[in-house]
Amino acid sequence: MTIPLTVIGGFLGAGKTTLVNHLLATGAKRWGVLVNDFGAINVDAALIAASDGQTMALTNGCVCCTMGDDLGDGLAAMAARIPPPEHVIVEASGVSDPWRIAQMALIEPGFNLEPLVVLVDATAFPAQLDDRWTGDTVARQLAFAEIVVITKIDLADAAQLVMVHVRIAELRPQARVIETAHASLPDTALSFTPPARPQASRFHADDVTHAFPTQRIAADRQFDRDRLRWVLGMLPASVLRLKGVCLLGGERVLLQYAAERWAFTPAPEGLANGMVAIGTPEMPDLEGLFEEAR
Amino acid sequence: MANNPKVTVFSARRVVTLDPSQPISTHVAVRNGRIIGHGGPEVVGQFGGTLDARFADKVIVPGFIEGHGHATDGLMWRQPYVGYFARTAPDGSRQGGFRSVAEVVGHLKAIEATMPPGKPLVSWGFDPIYFDGPRMTVEDLDIIAPDRMVVVAHVSGHILNVNTKVLIAAGFSADSNIDGLVRGQNGQLTGELQGPAVMGRANRATGDGGLLRELDVAGLRDYGRIARRVGVTTSTDLANAMTPANVAAMRTATAEPDFPIRLVPAMRAREYSIEDGLARIAELRKLSTPTLQFGLVKLVVDGSIQGFTARLRWPGYHNGAPNGLWYISPAELEATVKSYHAAGHHLHIHTNGDEASELATEMIGRAIEAHPRADHRHTLQHCQMADSGIFRRMKTFGMCVNLFANHLYYWGDQHAKHTMGPSRVRRLDACNTALASGVPLAIHSDTPVTPVDPLFTMWCAVNRLSSTGVVLGDAERITPAQALHAVTLGAAYTLKMDHLIGSIEVGKYADFAVLDDDPLTVDPTAIKDIPVVATVMGGQVFAT
Ligand SMILES: [Zn+2]
Ligand SMILES: [Zn+2]
Repeated sequence: MTIPLTVIGGFLGAGKTTLVNHLLATGAKRWGVLVNDFGAINVDAALIAASDGQTMALTNGCVCCTMGDDLGDGLAAMAARIPPPEHVIVEASGVSDPWRIAQMALIEPGFNLEPLVVLVDATAFPAQLDDRWTGDTVARQLAFAEIVVITKIDLADAAQLVMVHVRIAELRPQARVIETAHASLPDTALSFTPPARPQASRFHADDVTHAFPTQRIAADRQFDRDRLRWVLGMLPASVLRLKGVCLLGGERVLLQYAAERWAFTPAPEGLANGMVAIGTPEMPDLEGLFEEAR
Repeated sequence: MANNPKVTVFSARRVVTLDPSQPISTHVAVRNGRIIGHGGPEVVGQFGGTLDARFADKVIVPGFIEGHGHATDGLMWRQPYVGYFARTAPDGSRQGGFRSVAEVVGHLKAIEATMPPGKPLVSWGFDPIYFDGPRMTVEDLDIIAPDRMVVVAHVSGHILNVNTKVLIAAGFSADSNIDGLVRGQNGQLTGELQGPAVMGRANRATGDGGLLRELDVAGLRDYGRIARRVGVTTSTDLANAMTPANVAAMRTATAEPDFPIRLVPAMRAREYSIEDGLARIAELRKLSTPTLQFGLVKLVVDGSIQGFTARLRWPGYHNGAPNGLWYISPAELEATVKSYHAAGHHLHIHTNGDEASELATEMIGRAIEAHPRADHRHTLQHCQMADSGIFRRMKTFGMCVNLFANHLYYWGDQHAKHTMGPSRVRRLDACNTALASGVPLAIHSDTPVTPVDPLFTMWCAVNRLSSTGVVLGDAERITPAQALHAVTLGAAYTLKMDHLIGSIEVGKYADFAVLDDDPLTVDPTAIKDIPVVATVMGGQVFAT
């Protein structure tokens, strides 16, 4: 099986650390969280089972680790834990491009790249976009976002909030937009497909279940490698993700695709053949296109 | 050093003192490692000294100060150097100077044959931008060793070439289509890896730490050998994590009686929260000795121009590449600068692009407004693209600059063609504008990025020649005297050590570079070719 992996980006002050602190404290799942530094991580001392400066294990089963330039290093440490986390969250630094980090996860065979989540501060986002020093950084962070979370809506008035939605739509019309007051999110915001077991619903955010249309793509016949690459190069921007196991040159491989970037890696045990495409409502029927690759 | 009333008088053809009360002497008297007098032959009798005439036909100048170097240079030589420009290893041998991919491959193949099986072959300093012919490929490196991991790190620090064994170990294949993996015409990977994400993954596969390694005593000794050979008597180590191991290695090495340089490490603030960093630097300051001075704090605002990761103002990169990303957000930079400034510390801030220099200047200005403080000497390091407007503001705020003059030679042609274009390249490392604006100036090598060699750095600032011989902005040339000041007293000033080193004046440490000729009177195009005969550090002679 593979571990779901969600990369969370957003500018300084957007609420990423609040979100991470919240996930760790509630422990609704065995979260594994990768952060740049522990500085702002602030969980109840009674929850900390062990901490060595790079790894902090909590009594509720969650774990938080620092990461360096190599995302794979941090992910390998996560996968090696017994038991491994149920879902890994990567907190991108406030000035980084989260898409650069997320695409590295495409070549991690043990992980399944979930939506790229970018947080924006309802009270600060338009000003950050217009700031000569931060505008391009904030815009770049949104360029490949799949879920945009507007935080601190309780501090913004209605007109401000409309403006935030307008600016997001200009930059990234494909993204789903969620509002929250306290950067506390339902699990459904961290996965394309909602979890099977029901979650305690004490959150205020919208339910994003079924927000992303999906299509199944048959993978019972062999694909031709070169033609499949060609097809992947043809996919429109309305296709956000394509993932699953297919037959390629006599092998079973796991394909992960996101925003014109993709990787085939050896298929892990326990995954059945079959691919699923996740997209925006504009996503066309893909079956005909993939027929070209068979 | 024990109290020793013995006075030694060094005689020379000329002693260039940078002492305003007597700029040129022929004799300098030393007692207890410090300068007690200088002047003509009468100095011997005046101080009852013993004449040491071994440098009688040489020229003595203040010991050179590398105001921006990295002691990791001393560790690099454990791996083969494969650069285009030859450079000197700690043992004095000349290495590199390769003119083609084939020469690099041949050199690595010969080394590979002597290595025990299994150990990765990691080399550094590769610089193919002046090569004709195709780029290095995975096939080139597979020839060296199909069953050993082979890595060739580019001198720019932003690219690796690797062989198939590394690609497989890192999980990269033609089936991975992600940013940073370069592909050939056939869609296959060429083995060229660009950017920290894919490079970090390859380094994990080979177990190589890249540029950020822990210092050790042997490496520091080797750095001392490299530095003293080019006349350096004081060097910074400008990005030090200040781990207990690093600090212990520096304390051990600099306490050795024959360690030839004073070391001035800067604490990388990024390694600590602001609170912990303030506590760490305060505790380190107490460990300072005459040969190991703590106190500098290093911040990094952007990346590099040649890596297209520097932050530029309009019109951005000449070739249209997107702007670099901040390494620290403007708000965090403001908070960090304010905290260290208010606590009385001394900041050295890496800024390459002009937008980064502008931002750092603005934030220092805000810190000064909040906490007025004279003589802080906050210094922008590299500051390669600042224009006259930025320099004027730096002067207003009492800032210093240390410009990366060696860039003119090593990357000047690239900047003219790809990064800055033909007009803006004229203000690359604008030494003359800095001085004309009244900003105290140092110049540097950033070794191991380019080789430490202050005479060469002076030559760059004086002549502004690229490696293909093109003059880049002749109005930004400075005089040999200004350049000598920049690698001695000017650099000392940026380190707050100008009362101790940087000139030959009574009371200062007896730190000299002994040269075969006078950099102020030779043909300016020959400054880089003047042989360094010896250094004197604290009165102790180190022959090169
Ligand atoms: Zn730097
Ligand atoms: Zn440096």
